[in-house]
Amino acid sequence: MLELKDVHTYYGNIHALKGISLTVNDGEIVTLIGSNGAGKSTTLRTIQGLNKPRSGSIVLDGTELHKLPAHQIATMGVAQSPEGRMIFPRMTVLENLEMGAYVRKDRSTFNDDLEHVFKLFPRLKERINQKGGTLSGGEQQMLAMGRALMAKPKILLLDEPSMGLAPLLVELIFDIIQEINKEGTTVLLVEQNALMALSIAHRGYVLQTGEIILSDDAQSLKNNEMVKKSYLGVE
Amino acid sequence: MKYIRSGITFGLIGGGLTLLFGGWSVAVIGSLMGVGLGLALGGGFERKDPLKIAVTVLPSALVAAVILVALSFYQNNVVQEAIGKRPFAANLALNANLIGFFGSVLFAAFVAAIHGLPQNQERAIKIALLATLVVLFPFIDKLTALRWTAQIIFALIFVILGLGLNIVVGYAGLLDLGYAAFFAIGAYTTGILSSPQHGVFLNFWLVIWIAAAMAAVWGLMLGAPTLPLRGDYLAIVTLGFGEIVPVLFKNLTDVTIREPLTCWILPGLMNLFGAQTTMSCITLVEHEDLTAGDKGISPIGRPSLPVISPNEAMGLALVVKVIVLVLIVGLIGYYLFRAISNKQYKRVVGLAAGLLAVVAFFIPLPHPEKGFMATLMAVIQPGEFKSNDPTTWYFLIIAIILLSIFVIQRLRDSRLGRAWMAIREDELAAAQMGIDPVRTKLAAFAMGATFSGFAGAFYAAYIAGIFPSVFDFSTSIIILCVVILGGIGNINGVIVGGLAIMTADRLFLPALKDFLSSLLTHTILPSISDPVVQLAVKDNANPILYRFLLFGLTLVIMMAVRPEGLIPNAQVRAEMHGEEVAAEKAKA
Repeated sequence: MLELKDVHTYYGNIHALKGISLTVNDGEIVTLIGSNGAGKSTTLRTIQGLNKPRSGSIVLDGTELHKLPAHQIATMGVAQSPEGRMIFPRMTVLENLEMGAYVRKDRSTFNDDLEHVFKLFPRLKERINQKGGTLSGGEQQMLAMGRALMAKPKILLLDEPSMGLAPLLVELIFDIIQEINKEGTTVLLVEQNALMALSIAHRGYVLQTGEIILSDDAQSLKNNEMVKKSYLGVE
Repeated sequence: MKYIRSGITFGLIGGGLTLLFGGWSVAVIGSLMGVGLGLALGGGFERKDPLKIAVTVLPSALVAAVILVALSFYQNNVVQEAIGKRPFAANLALNANLIGFFGSVLFAAFVAAIHGLPQNQERAIKIALLATLVVLFPFIDKLTALRWTAQIIFALIFVILGLGLNIVVGYAGLLDLGYAAFFAIGAYTTGILSSPQHGVFLNFWLVIWIAAAMAAVWGLMLGAPTLPLRGDYLAIVTLGFGEIVPVLFKNLTDVTIREPLTCWILPGLMNLFGAQTTMSCITLVEHEDLTAGDKGISPIGRPSLPVISPNEAMGLALVVKVIVLVLIVGLIGYYLFRAISNKQYKRVVGLAAGLLAVVAFFIPLPHPEKGFMATLMAVIQPGEFKSNDPTTWYFLIIAIILLSIFVIQRLRDSRLGRAWMAIREDELAAAQMGIDPVRTKLAAFAMGATFSGFAGAFYAAYIAGIFPSVFDFSTSIIILCVVILGGIGNINGVIVGGLAIMTADRLFLPALKDFLSSLLTHTILPSISDPVVQLAVKDNANPILYRFLLFGLTLVIMMAVRPEGLIPNAQVRAEMHGEEVAAEKAKA
């Protein structure tokens, strides 16, 4: 479905991604794990078109995403719940969700999708007329995910959905990610919380300083000695 | 006690204005003061028992009215003499003051009382009151010989400009410091297309659209290369554009356009190979004075409505007029019919009023020589735009403003409007939502420019002449201040801001200047013996000299006291006073 081949991305002269190749198949949850600065978020930003790769290709169902600007990539069925959430702080929850549906041409199912998002995140319904900027961190995360879902994406990119959340809320969020996946949305998940990520993902890639050093199915990665030591904190 | 204090404040403000304007102004100012007092006091009451509210504010209204009338009498009996004018006859002054007194008391009580009604009724009555005021204003102005309408029209031009700039600055969040350039483009397009300068006299109703389109095209042309810039950089570029355009219009006095191929390229090539050239050079335009430089373009054609007069001869003109009239009436009638069948009664009232207005303007009834109808027709003068009577101009600009508000509201609530706000909030996040930042920003620039094109066309026709100095940097800044002072991102705020700034500039300051200079010549100067001091006082007692000083001071004070503007956008208010708003809500 989504295929990255030898993608190189730079920030000015800093070589951030040094030839990333990965695939995400239809219906999968694939996770990218790695430490700070490994290039996880940059990979997602590159897929979304917020950073342009200097070489390599990104193909989604036959469409060459790396040739398109960010706003057109959004119309191709790629939606992201970005790092730091990037919700619209002065718009209400409802307006934020409406912005998520901006790319869609079909109005008829809007209300059903809204209900669906509210079913996944009942808290958002309670806060429907509140300004995005006044929500708590967890609620903002829910809003960012809900907003991405409103686009009815083929592939959902999640950047650190657990960041800054209480442990109970983290479990809730991961349950919801699984639910979203079961409903048929492919998920590419970037996480620092490697244990949680690997326990819901089908496959995983390990990133280190801009390169993929390991890839395997999630269960095997969980049992891999190196991963255990470096990312899961198991001695 | 709180109410009495407001009464005293309003009374002093109203009375102070009466001191300046004198004459019949007490009646008009009194009524307006009453409305203002009612609005100021009414908001603080619970939504029940309107009568009780009226009774509660009555003492305060009476205090204000007494202060007003006292100052008005003082004006007529003491000040008029001091500034060397004859006082009004006692019976006239009495009438004016009686109207002012009862007007202020009744309006204050009434407007305060309607705050006790349910919200939708309160809103409906306020709108009806406002509409009545807007419609009656020029006639009251004429009856009372105040001559304010002509100046109010300038304020309304700036309201349109403010509304247009509000799209760029308020909705899309792009700082534009050269907005007057688009105003100039609209005005000069009108000037060039309907004046003796080039012998072209297009119909105003056509020119106004061309002017708007020209402004929009220039908005796109400026925007296309610069909009990828952000924030401060964009502001600097627009500043430059705003400086270039007036200079350009000033200097387009000797335009020669030659076709380059036959004039330079081919002869040049032939010279290169040593051939003698005998080519004729095709010149498109030679020594054309496009804009007449500092002299400006004047006169400029005035609009006229296709009025059907009772004894018009049969001919093509009449046929066209009838067709236009039938089309307009048919269109409004169609919507009226739909509104009736859908039982949307508010809309029915509005459309019916519009239909009546259209018919009244297009078909003047036969004038009997005397009587009510003749008087009415003389006051309304349908269809004629004269230089010495601003009434029709006033209604034209009101119509343009209503149209602009309608369009801008629809734009704001459309996909495009949402995209503007998303861009303003967070450009990267907006791009992730599938919004094309460059196209969205370009649309904001073009739409904003369109409205200043309308304003420019109206301005050129109204003044019947345009000069490059009108469109300089200070005009851009004043328009920006209209938006910021009124309340950025809020249509009502921009309207109030435009009216407040421009009436202060066009009505209050000149009146103050006249007042001071007559007071000086008649009372103060004769009592000063030292000629040096006399001259110094005379030269410096002109408030118009301090226009920008006063303007700047107002801005500084406003930004310190109420940075969100007079009538703020709810979002901006929440941002600047978030905690206070939350506290208010918690209390309520």
